[in-house]
Amino acid sequence: MWLVRPAQPGDLNGIRDIAETQGPRLSSTLPRQEENLAAKIRQSGQAFAGQLAAGDAARFLFVLEDLDTGRIRGVSGIDARAGNGQPFYNYRRDALIHASHELGISRRVEVLYPSHALTDQTLLCAFAIDPALKQTDAFELLSRARMMFIAGHRTMFSDRMVVEIQGVQNSSGAVPFWDSLGRHFFDMDFETADRYSGMLSRTFIAELMPSNPIYVTLLSPAAQEALGQPHTLTRATMELLLREGFHAGCYLDIFDAGPVLQARTDALKTIVTSHCRELHAATADQGETCLLATGDGAAFRCTLASVSETLKGEVLVPVKTWQGLECSSGDRVRIASL
Amino acid sequence: MLVIRPLQETDLDDLFRMAGSAGKGLTTLPADRGMLERKISHARDTFSQRCAPEAGLYLFALEDIALRRCVGISGIQARVGLDEVFYNYRLSVTVNASRELGVHVRTPTLHLTNDMTDTTEICSLLLADSHRGGGNGLLLSRCRFMFLDDFRKHFSDKVFAEMRGVSDGGGQSPLWDALGSKFFDMEFAEADRLSGLGNKSFIAELMPKYPIYLPMLPPSARAVIGLVHDNTVPALKMLQAEGFNFNGLVDIFDGGPVVEAFVHNIRTVRDGINRHVLVRHQPVNLQVPVEERVMVSNRSFRDFRVTTIPAQLIGPDTVSLPRNVADALGVESGDPVRLAPLKGSWPSPIHSVRDYHKLDYGPRDFSSRG
Repeated sequence: MWLVRPAQPGDLNGIRDIAETQGPRLSSTLPRQEENLAAKIRQSGQAFAGQLAAGDAARFLFVLEDLDTGRIRGVSGIDARAGNGQPFYNYRRDALIHASHELGISRRVEVLYPSHALTDQTLLCAFAIDPALKQTDAFELLSRARMMFIAGHRTMFSDRMVVEIQGVQNSSGAVPFWDSLGRHFFDMDFETADRYSGMLSRTFIAELMPSNPIYVTLLSPAAQEALGQPHTLTRATMELLLREGFHAGCYLDIFDAGPVLQARTDALKTIVTSHCRELHAATADQGETCLLATGDGAAFRCTLASVSETLKGEVLVPVKTWQGLECSSGDRVRIASL
Repeated sequence: MLVIRPLQETDLDDLFRMAGSAGKGLTTLPADRGMLERKISHARDTFSQRCAPEAGLYLFALEDIALRRCVGISGIQARVGLDEVFYNYRLSVTVNASRELGVHVRTPTLHLTNDMTDTTEICSLLLADSHRGGGNGLLLSRCRFMFLDDFRKHFSDKVFAEMRGVSDGGGQSPLWDALGSKFFDMEFAEADRLSGLGNKSFIAELMPKYPIYLPMLPPSARAVIGLVHDNTVPALKMLQAEGFNFNGLVDIFDGGPVVEAFVHNIRTVRDGINRHVLVRHQPVNLQVPVEERVMVSNRSFRDFRVTTIPAQLIGPDTVSLPRNVADALGVESGDPVRLAPLKGSWPSPIHSVRDYHKLDYGPRDFSSRG
């Protein structure tokens, strides 16, 4: 039995264990230092409970719990507003035409412009799952539970959504884009910069990042090849998000040039196709496996269940899968097919 | 005897021959007959004041009187960047610092500028191989400062020279290969040739407009920014001795430095003294070492002439010129001339009479001489 629910203070060790199974890139959204992580969980609890002070950034953190063992096997997050009140940095890949009528020459020149355009859009982040679960439905549950949450709490989120996908990193740990660009200005290796980016305020990015546009042709060939390319390990995540309705636009991560996926919130598959029904008990384990979400705010729960719908607008769900949902017969639940 | 005089139509063949043997890198004087013809005609219009002062192109020929041949050329462009856009990169520094992280990074950066617009450029220096040495190069170059000095209102307060940057024997420029060629699919030599034909600003329009962070260029390209070609080292040294300094701008193609000086600070200008001509009929041995020779100009705008004479001919308020020198300069007894050392500064005996240069007789501006 899998359950996605808001992260709680007691999940600290479980989350840290999961974070440690991931590559370095995750640390920008999921800090590894215990006190930072604890603060993040606390902040998430306040966001779920609606206890944030006005102006505070709503940052939600979900965990994937194995109800049979009680272990945390994955974590995912939503930042209601990318940048959390500070600028959210990306490069926008754009083109200029350098043309000379007199010489009969016209040439397309690619440029990376520093951009804050995605600031305040809703950001999906902090996705990490036990590698053993990558091929299972739990993977989809952990990712899409966020969309279920957004569907049920639509007004808390913006009309546009973004996801940063990890970019190219060699097996030796080198990040070609960073080595060709960021390293010169930040005077540190990729992992250090990435760690700082999770630990510190992001002011240091504003201070150290070159403020002028960058000509793509002056990057190393390896860095040019890496532009907008996802890390091979992120293929499953990326495919899931593309099915969900995200697409790669012209924005790139400033550290590794990984693609930034974008979508209109109201066009996301889960948000369009999910619907609310009245929960009733099913006697037999029948019907198709669906995402089933219930509860507001801190009471939000999402699980996988065999669901059969009736003509009266009810859903029949085996009682054994109600475990952990903390709801009873007749409650409204949101379902979406896998 | 070698004499500086305005370039004229009859110099075309000599000029074409010299430009042809100069090889690559001399963008301002391509071996293109039509182009050279237009330049000569432009220069003639300038000296006869048939074109606007700011459009002036002053080209001086070094004539070997005995051979009746033009053996060198040098020039002054009154203003650059007026009818086309004049580009340079400014070599500056970008600092990114984070107190929080204790990081402080300086990044050398090239910014595209038009800073030299409306400034006077000294250009187009070329000397025939047969006449290298013996102070001829100095005469060809420094005569321009005597002209600038006497006709300052035609020029900007500051003058500059673009020095040829580093390229190898095959005409490959490390900066061009790392930067220009990425934006403009062309060999350096070809881009350079097009520049000489007047297409430089067109090419510049294809070049990157945003600042270039140098760490993104290969070390070979970074190393040549602000450096001159080996063949240009003597010219740079001469200009430095004259008071020119690197002003932080470099050529957008090969990274060669721009050096500049205020006219009033140029050594030739500061050292210039005025005298009246006294034509003497005894022959004089003009063949003295470079250190003992001085430049003497006739201070004429239309028919500017300069040659060199032994310093010992300078008196307290006159200078004795043998008949042939007076004829070459087109002066007679009583005419004002201006003098400046050919190499370095005045030999010490002259210092005692230097105060006389305060008696300024004024240039013989626009006086027509045959």
